[in-house]
Amino acid sequence: MSLSTTKTAAPPKSAPHEHDSSKAARSNLGLVRPDHTTGWKDWLTTVDHKKIGAMYAIFSLAFLIVGGVEALAIRAQLAFAENNLVSAETYNQLFTMHGTTMVFLAVMPLSSAFFNFLVPLQIGARDVAFPRLNAFSLWTFVAGAIVINLSWIFQAANAFGWFTPIDGRTDIVPSAGWFGYAPLTGDQYSGIGTDFWIFGLQVLGIASVAASLNFIVTIINFRAPGLKMMRLPVFIWMTLITSFLIIFAFPPITVALGELMFDRVFGANFFRVDQGGQPILWQHLFWVFGHPEVYILILPAMGIVSEILPVFSRKPLFGYSLIVFSGAVIGFLGFAVWSHHMFTTGLGKVATAAFSLLTMAIAVPTGVKIFNWIGTLWGGRIKFSVPMVFSLGFIWMFMMGGFSGIMHSAAPADAQQQDSYFVVAHFHYVLIGGSILSLLAGIYFWLPKMVGKMWYGKLGYWVSATVVVGLNVTFFPMHFLGMIGMPRRTHTYLEGTGWQPMNLVCTVGAFILAVGIFLFLWDLIRTIRKGPPAGDDPWDGRTLEWTIPSPPPSYNFARTPIVHSRDPLWAHKHGKASLRIGSVEPDPHGIHMPSQSWFPLLASAGFFVLGLSMALKQAGVPFCGYIAIAGLGITVLGIYLWALEGPGGFHVHPEETNS
Amino acid sequence: MLGISTKRLSWLGVPLLLSGCNFQARQSFVDPKGIVAQDQYDLFLLTVWVTAAIFALVGGALLWTVWRYREKKTDDPNTLPSQSHGNPLIEIGLIGVSVALLVVIAIPTLRLIWFTNDMPNDPESNLGSWFDGETAEGSDEEPLIILAKGWQWWFSFEYPQLGITTGNEFAIPAGKTVRIELRGEDVIHSFWLPKIAGKVDMIPGRNNNMWIRTDEPGYYYGQCAEYCGEAHAYMQFRTEVLSEEEFEKWVAERRETPKPPAGKDWNEFISLSASAPEELPDTDIVQGARHFFGKGTCVQCHTIDGTFAAGKLGPNLTHVADNRSLAAGWMENINPDGSINREQQLENLYEWVRNSEHIKPGNLMYYDPNGLQNVELSDQEVHQIAVFLQSLR
Repeated sequence: MSLSTTKTAAPPKSAPHEHDSSKAARSNLGLVRPDHTTGWKDWLTTVDHKKIGAMYAIFSLAFLIVGGVEALAIRAQLAFAENNLVSAETYNQLFTMHGTTMVFLAVMPLSSAFFNFLVPLQIGARDVAFPRLNAFSLWTFVAGAIVINLSWIFQAANAFGWFTPIDGRTDIVPSAGWFGYAPLTGDQYSGIGTDFWIFGLQVLGIASVAASLNFIVTIINFRAPGLKMMRLPVFIWMTLITSFLIIFAFPPITVALGELMFDRVFGANFFRVDQGGQPILWQHLFWVFGHPEVYILILPAMGIVSEILPVFSRKPLFGYSLIVFSGAVIGFLGFAVWSHHMFTTGLGKVATAAFSLLTMAIAVPTGVKIFNWIGTLWGGRIKFSVPMVFSLGFIWMFMMGGFSGIMHSAAPADAQQQDSYFVVAHFHYVLIGGSILSLLAGIYFWLPKMVGKMWYGKLGYWVSATVVVGLNVTFFPMHFLGMIGMPRRTHTYLEGTGWQPMNLVCTVGAFILAVGIFLFLWDLIRTIRKGPPAGDDPWDGRTLEWTIPSPPPSYNFARTPIVHSRDPLWAHKHGKASLRIGSVEPDPHGIHMPSQSWFPLLASAGFFVLGLSMALKQAGVPFCGYIAIAGLGITVLGIYLWALEGPGGFHVHPEETNS
Repeated sequence: MLGISTKRLSWLGVPLLLSGCNFQARQSFVDPKGIVAQDQYDLFLLTVWVTAAIFALVGGALLWTVWRYREKKTDDPNTLPSQSHGNPLIEIGLIGVSVALLVVIAIPTLRLIWFTNDMPNDPESNLGSWFDGETAEGSDEEPLIILAKGWQWWFSFEYPQLGITTGNEFAIPAGKTVRIELRGEDVIHSFWLPKIAGKVDMIPGRNNNMWIRTDEPGYYYGQCAEYCGEAHAYMQFRTEVLSEEEFEKWVAERRETPKPPAGKDWNEFISLSASAPEELPDTDIVQGARHFFGKGTCVQCHTIDGTFAAGKLGPNLTHVADNRSLAAGWMENINPDGSINREQQLENLYEWVRNSEHIKPGNLMYYDPNGLQNVELSDQEVHQIAVFLQSLR
């Protein structure tokens, strides 16, 4: 679509740029850059935020399936009292890996997929600020994810008798819970599964922090002319806040994991009680990370919904500034409520009271968002597209999760709810009903932009119906299970407890939910393969990404847009002439594109070697200490070469190509 | 449209669920029987009502808005709906209402935090004012204190003022405030007796405590509520609330130590067992006791008061046959009327010693390096041990 209202003269002819050839350039090291490649080589070396976003999405959906299968195994085991489908040890590994996988390998990277794909497109930029760092974040995430999940392979090897850790313990898959409370994670109580968990999470933390720094720099510096902070799409604001949360929340968990590593690998005594260690220290460090992590999972979801509701209500977001501000307040307060996960640890009266009140306070900015979403719908003309149905489902389910959250904030009442199925119900309403529904809404909304194909048929509605029904059938009864006293993380239960009928209902619900996810994947694949062309702007969108072709060209914007209002495309289509999107005079050199590189992948591969061999070192596999050092060496080498090869780059001339 | 209707449909399921849920279930916190649990339940109900009211208002507003402002065929596609983008008065007003509703919850919350954390001033409950039996020196001005310890994966309960130690089942007097000191002996556990009080954690290296009080005698079920490793699900306990007189009787009974199955005292029994076993009668109970102290290696971890069995790693077995459950509550031998089913108990004791690794995964009685995994016992020997254990009452 042509958007230029600023008449510009044809670009002056100039001498071709020195790197303009379509042949691959050489880096400062004299090596050939992997530019203009195709196939797997292109995907492994790409620095294009759109391809990186797509890979984040593919990996996270794959891990969503892994975590989902783990959840189904958990539910199948609990369907009947005194069931023995899986052993207690396997069950403990399943719930540990389910939590770890869903939080770190499914929801966070799926949010990251949106950050990657959307941030440059919504702010009118060519790419993120540090494209190679972006590739490094992706591959480091993959490295950490594989380190953790390789434990299943070693567990299988153990079952066949091919691999036995030196301490003889058979819990090779992490089994100490996603929260890994000391001293259960100490070497006297758990096997090398905990080491896989420690090193996997450390590597994932590096990936998250690197990605967050990239997004913060990008959002602050790469906005199109006129796109002031208070004109940013809410999704970009939530990305910015989430990125700040990540860079402040990950240091505590890094420290905690480091201390645990010192305890286990080098015999330190941070958490060993008999040597004066304090297990409670772990809980503080973990939850100083763990609670902001909750908002890291939900704020992007809130951003996505805040983008979708105005489009299908055909109205601006109600109370934009308040939504942005409440997001920032949630992020800030998120660091002040961590001890509400520890109400039963004997904090004392004053600390309990303070954390109780602060937790209640966080309900206010959250409520503000819900009020504003309803305000956005109010007076609009609501079109029930699939993304909109998911978004409305999100508001409803997230609200219900919020209510049980308020119930937890009353500390004395929480003494009964904590670590019971009531809590399980609560956070699955906010994580599935909140994060997952919103991420699905986002996929339905932006996939046409990503792949240039449009959804077709009614399958999307069936997906939303099945997911919402499955979610409620699974998790609503869990409130009652908690009320009648079923504790979390229990492998089985006695017949006499009266928990059997509800558990069976939950299990049926889990399988309905699984059918919903399966239908979604089917819809996704058939749309990517056979969907009709989407066009630039299939939904009558409001933001800059809908001004460019679908799928977007590698350079994103042929001309950098000039923005004069919030919701620039909407103003361009329906507003005053003075609010139309302008465009910056193109550079006669063309658009500078960054060169691709192998070195981010190499640096990440070093982390993989480091993490895996540190875990195996604990199992007594010979030479692993040296291999770990070599892995660190590979990482350092990768970063060194990456620094020396220079940014490289070449130019493209979209307008010449078009004409 | 489909999304909305399914949401409504899911609410139709709620009454169905309620009918399938027994709120009087034995670990239900919505059937409180103690003062602390009652107050916590009242606060919970307050939060439920406040949130239900918000739910009705906000959920109703959401549904109404979605229905009222849905796209209609009669809408003119060439016009836009009102492009309003905010109203500071409405926004500030809604924030004010939210804060006010939270204050409604916050005030009783604060009151109850202080109430549950502070031991109530209740001189009537001091041991000196009601307990007639012998007590440790200086304990008359204290309430009954129970030292509850969490181990992987069972509970021990010590009564330091009364000189009693029990495993996995304990008793308290009705109508008296009792102080419970909580200790974690290996990893973190949590003491949760839902009908009497919410949970407090048992953390190694940290001296937590709580108080409980109930006026209703009965048999109550509790469970560990903090994930503590492989057999976390199998870590349960029972509490018997007895009237004052019955509690005193219970204390007197629990203070009695078991008599040897033969011989005039345990010293003689043990020396005969070692040097002249043929002089002992050849009964199951005698043989069982010999295996217990001998090849069964039970004494390494278990204590029987009054004998030299003084192991500290497993439950105190002095009155193990007075318990209505075995294996930290996982195996039950209780009749519907609350009395002990002796047949079931013997069967359970046999099964537990014979097959504990299948009954309670990872249990240390079997998997400890000194445990039963390295002890050869015939079925008959296990039966004899079970008969001996059943005599401990």
